[in-house]
Amino acid sequence: MAHELEVFWFSEQPYGHVTESDLEPYESGRMHFPNTHFDPEKAHVLYGNYHDQYQLADEVGFDGIMSNEHHSSYWCMKPSVNVDAAVITQRTKKAKIAMLGNVIAVNDPVKMAEEIAMLDCISGGRIISGFVRGTAVETLHAGYPPTENRPRFEEAHDLIVKCWTQPGPFRWDGEYWPHRMVNPWVVPIQKPHPPVWFPGTGSPESVIWAARHRYPYMNLGSLLDLTKQLKGIYHETAAEEGYEAGPEHFGYLIRCLVADTDEKAQEIGRTFLWTENHRNRGPMEFNDPPGYQSREALRIKMSRPLIGTGTMGRRMTYEDLQAAYNIIVGSPETVTEKLRHIRKDLEPGYILIYGNEGHMPHEDVMRSVELLGTKVIPALKEG
Amino acid sequence: MTTVQSGSRTTVNVNGTTVEMYSGGSGPPLVFFHGAGGSNGWLPWHEDLAEEYTVFVPSQPGFNGTEAPAWVKTIGDVAHFNHMFIDALGLQDIVLVGSSMGGWVSAEMAAMDDHNIDALVLVDAAGIKPRESDIAEIFMVSSETRLKQRFYDPGQVENYENYTRELSPEEQLVVHSNAIMASQLCWKPYLHNPSLPYTLSRVETPTFIVWGNQDAIIPVECGHLFQQAIQGSQLRVIDNCGHSPAVEKRGEFVAAVTGFLNSL
Repeated sequence: MAHELEVFWFSEQPYGHVTESDLEPYESGRMHFPNTHFDPEKAHVLYGNYHDQYQLADEVGFDGIMSNEHHSSYWCMKPSVNVDAAVITQRTKKAKIAMLGNVIAVNDPVKMAEEIAMLDCISGGRIISGFVRGTAVETLHAGYPPTENRPRFEEAHDLIVKCWTQPGPFRWDGEYWPHRMVNPWVVPIQKPHPPVWFPGTGSPESVIWAARHRYPYMNLGSLLDLTKQLKGIYHETAAEEGYEAGPEHFGYLIRCLVADTDEKAQEIGRTFLWTENHRNRGPMEFNDPPGYQSREALRIKMSRPLIGTGTMGRRMTYEDLQAAYNIIVGSPETVTEKLRHIRKDLEPGYILIYGNEGHMPHEDVMRSVELLGTKVIPALKEG
Repeated sequence: MTTVQSGSRTTVNVNGTTVEMYSGGSGPPLVFFHGAGGSNGWLPWHEDLAEEYTVFVPSQPGFNGTEAPAWVKTIGDVAHFNHMFIDALGLQDIVLVGSSMGGWVSAEMAAMDDHNIDALVLVDAAGIKPRESDIAEIFMVSSETRLKQRFYDPGQVENYENYTRELSPEEQLVVHSNAIMASQLCWKPYLHNPSLPYTLSRVETPTFIVWGNQDAIIPVECGHLFQQAIQGSQLRVIDNCGHSPAVEKRGEFVAAVTGFLNSL
């Protein structure tokens, strides 16, 4: 049966009160930016708004809601994707819940397996369990050496899947999390286990890993040329593994806002550039310390010269980003047409709507959710 | 200066692992272990020491494009490996010299087994955590910052342009893979081993500790801590000098080291 397009709502839950002038004095927008700029009372209001957006997305017909996790980041107030997913289970009725995902390299894998299984049971089997390596900052934040991220990720993945699929108790002779006895009581409702997704931006190594495990690869908003090349690597790897990859193996995250008119959408959508100057500011060694990329990843990168680039490290204006289909804003008609272009160009099985940013007014985002759900998504699914 | 044979490049097989090595000179064996940036090959101060010693300058496992054996994951593992390297060369009664991370490795080697080590020279060595200050961040900084940390006065550095020139893609890959290996070995605990001050109490080999007074990476305080940890050791602090005295104060460094070795 052909895979039908699924559209997901996503918000990073930004702390939108941060301004350029707040960030200016600091070397980077993450570990260096003091948390004295965080006001818990304001966060309380914002969390409430974001949860209202989740509920509306479910009501107006989004297929799912995606969530994520970051640390020491003013643009993402979610240090635990599992906590956010627990909220989503209670604020929604039908939507799939795609966690993209747990930073399993720096968390206790047995507890991860238990928590995700618990969410799957609570939600009645709506969980999609993304596993991520996280940015290097997530690893630094957790206090682990960057060289351990990849091997810890691999071991945590294997242990979590074993917790879900093999009856306990069992022994785990791991290098990083050795256990004499593993026997989690709670196991997932979905069998053999919840679907697993794996995200990436520009690293071919990530695509190859996802394809080898037959896990859908979610590209997080790279430019279309690069994304197509990465998708090509997925197809090649799938062929080597003896299967044919289809739309069900591929998703694409896109910044997108809909308003009643193009003019209004253009004005609101400008806030998508809120983090552009600061999100990855700081010495390159800070965002990518030695050892976070393996020697093998370096070799793969050098052996596969990619044309085009991601958006990182390249100054693009709001207009450039729209022309490149990296930001899509407009009336329902405009947005539908542009998403159709992406659908035709990339043939994704999943479109993940990065639907708000910074200080975008809550009521404007709610209207965008409504227009996406009632107009854009039905039109897109018609073809 | 009398002419000596310049160092020549060769490789050594250590239990199936390839080590890149430069060697030259004649006399008793002197082995030098490099710091976290990898081996810079045969340097002028090696040439100086080669007048009186047969000088061996190996790459340590995982550095300079070599593959580390899978079991080598800590500085202690490197120390064991380097003992195997010395066995593979059949060297006896060596002078062991180590700088920075290589000084840490050399100190661990002596603490493990110093019967084959006639003299130990530690140069701005990592390995002991300072009490009064911190070892500087070397991984999460730009290469420009790292270079500024290393030298007190670039005007004192011969061929300084070698440190600032544009690298070829092949050289960049070596620099990057050296950084990965150093990160693997030194990230946590950061550039030290909490046990080292105690295990060094077994070292009986004559030990000379040399430090740049203005070392901005590993403070001179650590030189004093090494001296306290190793019985009978001597400390020489070189003034107006940063983390690499052999490069920045070559004449003073070589005179100090040969003076110590000749006094034994």
